[in-house]
Amino acid sequence: MTATLKERAATLAALPVEFLFRALETPLAFVQRLVGVRGMPWVFLLPNLAFFGIFVVIPLFINFAFSLTGGTALYPSDRVYAGTEQYAFLFDCENFADPITCREDRFWKGIYNTAVFIFFQVSFLVLFSLVTALVLNMKIRARGFFRAVFFFPVLLSPVVVALIWKWILLRDGLLNAFLVSLGLDKILFFVSPEWAMFWAIFVSIWAHMGFYTLILLAGLQAIPPDLYEAAEVDGTSRERVFFRITLPLLWPNLLVVIVLALIKGVQIFDEVFVLTGGGPGTATQFIVQYIYNTAFTQQVQNFGLAAAASVVLGTVLFVLTLTQLAVTRKRDNG
Amino acid sequence: MTDIVLEDIRKSYGPVEVIHGIDLDVASGEFVVFVGPSGCGKSTLLRIIAGLEEVTSGTVRIGGEVVNDMRAADRGLAMVFQSYALYPHMTVYKNMAFGLENSKLPRAEIDRKVRDAAEMLQITPYLDRRPKALSGGQRQRVAIGRAIVRDPQAFLFDEPLSNLDAELRVAMRKELALLHTRIGGTMIYVTHDQTEAMTLADKIVVLQGGRVEQVGAPLDLYNRPQNVFVAGFIGSPRMNLVETVAASSGDGLSLTRAGTALAIPAVGGIAPGDAVTFGIRPEHIHLTDGEPDILATVTVAEQLGGETYIYCEAEGLPQITLHQPGQVLVSAGDPLKLAVDRTNLHLFGADGRAIANGLAA
Repeated sequence: MTATLKERAATLAALPVEFLFRALETPLAFVQRLVGVRGMPWVFLLPNLAFFGIFVVIPLFINFAFSLTGGTALYPSDRVYAGTEQYAFLFDCENFADPITCREDRFWKGIYNTAVFIFFQVSFLVLFSLVTALVLNMKIRARGFFRAVFFFPVLLSPVVVALIWKWILLRDGLLNAFLVSLGLDKILFFVSPEWAMFWAIFVSIWAHMGFYTLILLAGLQAIPPDLYEAAEVDGTSRERVFFRITLPLLWPNLLVVIVLALIKGVQIFDEVFVLTGGGPGTATQFIVQYIYNTAFTQQVQNFGLAAAASVVLGTVLFVLTLTQLAVTRKRDNG
Repeated sequence: MTDIVLEDIRKSYGPVEVIHGIDLDVASGEFVVFVGPSGCGKSTLLRIIAGLEEVTSGTVRIGGEVVNDMRAADRGLAMVFQSYALYPHMTVYKNMAFGLENSKLPRAEIDRKVRDAAEMLQITPYLDRRPKALSGGQRQRVAIGRAIVRDPQAFLFDEPLSNLDAELRVAMRKELALLHTRIGGTMIYVTHDQTEAMTLADKIVVLQGGRVEQVGAPLDLYNRPQNVFVAGFIGSPRMNLVETVAASSGDGLSLTRAGTALAIPAVGGIAPGDAVTFGIRPEHIHLTDGEPDILATVTVAEQLGGETYIYCEAEGLPQITLHQPGQVLVSAGDPLKLAVDRTNLHLFGADGRAIANGLAA
């Protein structure tokens, strides 16, 4: 009886799909007659290609075109051709290591801040993700629960993450309340440049660690347990097992994690923007926020300069993405 | 070389006991094979000896010393895994040297040991290759080489040939037998393949459901199985087993089932009305022109040139398999008159235990 009910339910559930397929059959047969069987893959790709083209490729070219123009007009037809003037302006520096000596010092301050952020964020993100993955890969109590707990922040929107931490870190926030309860003074986290950068890095690690932990955990679980048992029978110490077996076999995953974290690090914007607003001053203003501010929040909206900075950023990301693809390909080919 | 003794070994996973009190002596230099169907506990037992699993109760002695609480590394054993467990990122040389580096041997000594073992196993040309550049058979040799270089007290093999194709398996089986002759170490070998067990072992341990069914030399198990399970498990094709009921017949007995009645002399322990399973190996059933024990019809005949396997059916009986030397030209549907060799007839009681292995002629 139950089986019959189940069968009926399955048939009913399949009805819309069947209806859809039948409805599509006639137009698709017509299209196939028009383009031939070999042309059909392009037909199926077309919706996605159109979407990608309209919202990614065309804006990419428009952005590049904007970077070669000057003035404050929004419409391309109203803009003045400026050649590489915007790029020259961005790269007009006496000493690239010292942002103050650059004409557009905010751009270089953004790059400097992003570099500092990436250095610490990527280093500690990878380190914490690795340690967490190693622990979660061990036979510990409530392993499934902890795996879920570490992944949970990844599911949150970056704005939500930033708001939660903002409430914790504000002058009258949870953390300061805790410090006061211990008899300590309140710390104005968002007034000190060092603290602001620290929390920007910390919150970013907290929010993204679960994702990278998951990649590393998958890598750890792909290492056959036999290898560890063989090492155990051979009398291999735990340190030697880690450095001679685990780490080399995990290295391809680790490389992917490092490159992905670098890419995400360069793109950092939303979390920190909500958390610190780029402050105090420009202490936590990163390159993407510089682009956003230059184009949209200043009194003189300098679209050309912002577009040129975007092209520079895009080039860096392109190189990083190529690296990531190369690393992934190398890993997949063993 | 050393002896290994297991005393009342029990192993449980939570409330489930998978090894139910096993006692076993493995003499120094002996080649012992654990054989049994999947899930019988043979690999678990091997891993207990290796130190990769803890016992729930019982004692494991290696060379007279109780090793229950000793780390796997300190037991002086080497193990060859089913998957070979070669480190994929290391060359063959590094794979073989890895265990020796742990014991901090001088580099020259490590080099000598690795090259000697590679020479013995004919893998010297592959020392600089990584495992993925080797064939299955070559990987197997590297895994064995990795065990040999450590000069262990005993070798443990966990189904080492099961990932190889049939032809390579036969070749490697021969090499393992040669290796045992050459280095003479104590070896414990786990397999579910009874042919491997029969051809390699000095002593076979047949396991089922976490218990030892029988321990003995291969031919002992073949000729004198102590129960129906061993009778059916050892031998290929397997022994014909027919459940019957004993009836009196003149001075002797008759084992009856459906229309078939097999006359046998009186046997102590069997009374008329008793349930008796008789077992007869395929090579101990003959074709006869005289009065047959069983009338059968051929279902399939396999001609191998030098020998013939005939599978037939008889009314009310399970499938009967015959192994005949030479070429017996029969085909499906042919009627056959079969005679059962009483001197090689095995009788088992209702509890499955052997009552007789071979009757008087």
